[in-house]
Amino acid sequence: MLLAPLVAVAGLAHDVAPLAGDLEIKDGRLVAGFDLGPAFPPDLRKQLGNGLTNVVVLHVTLAPVPGEEPAAVYVRETEVLYDVWEETYRVTLRDPGHPRGHHLTFAAWEALRAFLAEVRQIDVAPASILGDRTWVVSARVEVNPVSQELLDRTRELIANPAAGARVGGASRSVLGAMASYLLGKGATGADVHVFRSRPFSARGGAIR
Amino acid sequence: MSARRHLPSRFELKIALALVLAAVLPLLAALWLASRLAEENLAVGLNPRVIERLEATPGLFRDLFQARKQLYAEQARIIARGLPADPQAAARHLEGAIRRTPRLRRVAWLAADGTPLAEAEATEPNPEGEWRAAPARVSLSGGEVLECTFAIEARFFAELDEVRELAETYQGASALRADIQRSYVRAFAVILVAFALLAAAAGTWLARRTTRRVSDLIAAVRELARGNLGIQVDPGAATDEVAGLARAFNAMVREVRESRDRIVYLEKISGWQDVARRLAHEIKNPLTPIQLAFQQLEARWRTEPQGSPEFGRLLSEASQIVKEEIGTLQRLVEDFSGFARLPEVRAEETDLGAFVEDFLATTPQLAESADIRLTRAAGDCPVALDRTLMRRVLANLVENAAQATRPGKAAVHLGVARSAGRALLTVADEGPGIPPELRGRIFDPYFTTRSEGTGLGLAIVKKIVLQHGGEIEVGERPGGGALFAIAMPLAGASGARR
Repeated sequence: MLLAPLVAVAGLAHDVAPLAGDLEIKDGRLVAGFDLGPAFPPDLRKQLGNGLTNVVVLHVTLAPVPGEEPAAVYVRETEVLYDVWEETYRVTLRDPGHPRGHHLTFAAWEALRAFLAEVRQIDVAPASILGDRTWVVSARVEVNPVSQELLDRTRELIANPAAGARVGGASRSVLGAMASYLLGKGATGADVHVFRSRPFSARGGAIR
Repeated sequence: MSARRHLPSRFELKIALALVLAAVLPLLAALWLASRLAEENLAVGLNPRVIERLEATPGLFRDLFQARKQLYAEQARIIARGLPADPQAAARHLEGAIRRTPRLRRVAWLAADGTPLAEAEATEPNPEGEWRAAPARVSLSGGEVLECTFAIEARFFAELDEVRELAETYQGASALRADIQRSYVRAFAVILVAFALLAAAAGTWLARRTTRRVSDLIAAVRELARGNLGIQVDPGAATDEVAGLARAFNAMVREVRESRDRIVYLEKISGWQDVARRLAHEIKNPLTPIQLAFQQLEARWRTEPQGSPEFGRLLSEASQIVKEEIGTLQRLVEDFSGFARLPEVRAEETDLGAFVEDFLATTPQLAESADIRLTRAAGDCPVALDRTLMRRVLANLVENAAQATRPGKAAVHLGVARSAGRALLTVADEGPGIPPELRGRIFDPYFTTRSEGTGLGLAIVKKIVLQHGGEIEVGERPGGGALFAIAMPLAGASGARR
């Protein structure tokens, strides 16, 4: 049963884009599908094809309005590595359905972009959570955010600069070791896109 | 000292505050420098151009791999163009291709169904070490395929992995650049604060050793102001100004105490002299009439002898007793009078050792009752003294020493030396000594341990010594016996007190 088209909402904040997609109840679950195309412009091809590991993190939240804490959160982390020998995009996807990672390979950029931008069949929350309230769905896409792994690797680097971030070497720098210990995660990744749906409810007229 | 306090004084707090300020101000400057240093080092270590080049390195490998693939495809096409139709000849052709074509490890001519029609494989190890297979296929007519397997150096992939890991690390570090700078500044701050705290603690500890001694001095001065002349402060083993101040304070308090004791003693002696004068007067006045009355009584008895012989004998015995007692009372009166009329000191400068030698030479009768030995230390002991009064002092002390060892002949040790800026005269005997509990009273007038003594001798000695600005103490001679020590100011240091 299709609940509501997530139609563009005008008048949102400057850095918040309208979230386009569908919500439906399927087997008692609230399932969503989005088009996150604006977060993956064509010029992102160069970055994702640079032969380095790139990470795309998608946070989907379901929150009642007006602005309360999210009632449900869905997180999907996608690692993209362009294999310069095979000339393919190797993708590892982790989400609640694939906690240990699901491996995919894309031969073409267009296919990869479609995979990243067109999110389908996300299990957001149990449908019973909706009740009579009004809700809003937000999606936040971060490209190469500061992950815990990155933080750990950077700590290794500054604790033992001579070892070049290789794990296991004893630190030869007291200042570096202390700086490593005190290193905290400040700002998130530079490339962040936020999308938000218009408010909807299970009994609302927009529900189909 | 008992006045030690547990709470820090204002002085200590000020010193501690000064130390903290002295530690904090350079710390702030060092933190600013650390921030700049971290920023500049990060600008060098995380140079955007270097990181860009690192990020571009996998692209270089991609270009390398593509070039190799094109090369291998071209070489495969060359082999395919010369491939004979006869399988045996084709096999020789392929073997020749293996030998001629660099990095070609295997080549196979496959029929449309995949059946090998001819094939060849390199038997020699790859001259470039470990390798990975790079296939190159050429489609032939009739669905046949020439399948070549080339070698590509495995080290390329290892290097690619390493450079990717490095590039990702530096890329991440670059993203965290501001956080890294902050963490370095924080680490610097933590280390500097730790050092500053250590320095402040050490400085406070050192300062407190001084300020505490100053506080002790202040407390001691307050105690002195309350009249406690027994107060002393511990100067410790230090040789600094505070220790010097403590020693000077102790010396000052000691001098004040001695002066006070001297004044108190002289006042006390003066009172006793007054009593002695009155006693002497009161005793002396009736003695003469008593003596005259008895003389008249005896004279009458002699001129009128008709009386009872028994009465005459009784009168004679009574007369003898009265004369003896009157003689005793007269000696007592003389002692009292002598004590009451002690003359003022008329000091003249002389050497103490020479004076003692002169005293011994001019008082030969002392040698009859005592074996007197004089020990003079090297050097002069110029003092200002009244020779008559000091002779009385010496005579009294030597006589006391001689009496202490009677009935045997006494051994008396006299000593003259300089000590602590004063002239020291000691008189010691080898008798039983003076019990410690009596030493505090031995200079009091009328205190004596002898039945025939008046208790005035040592009181007179002490008064004369005090009038000379000196001190006298009694103690124990090493080896047994009493020891009297007289300390007098050296001439020129301070004048005799009159």
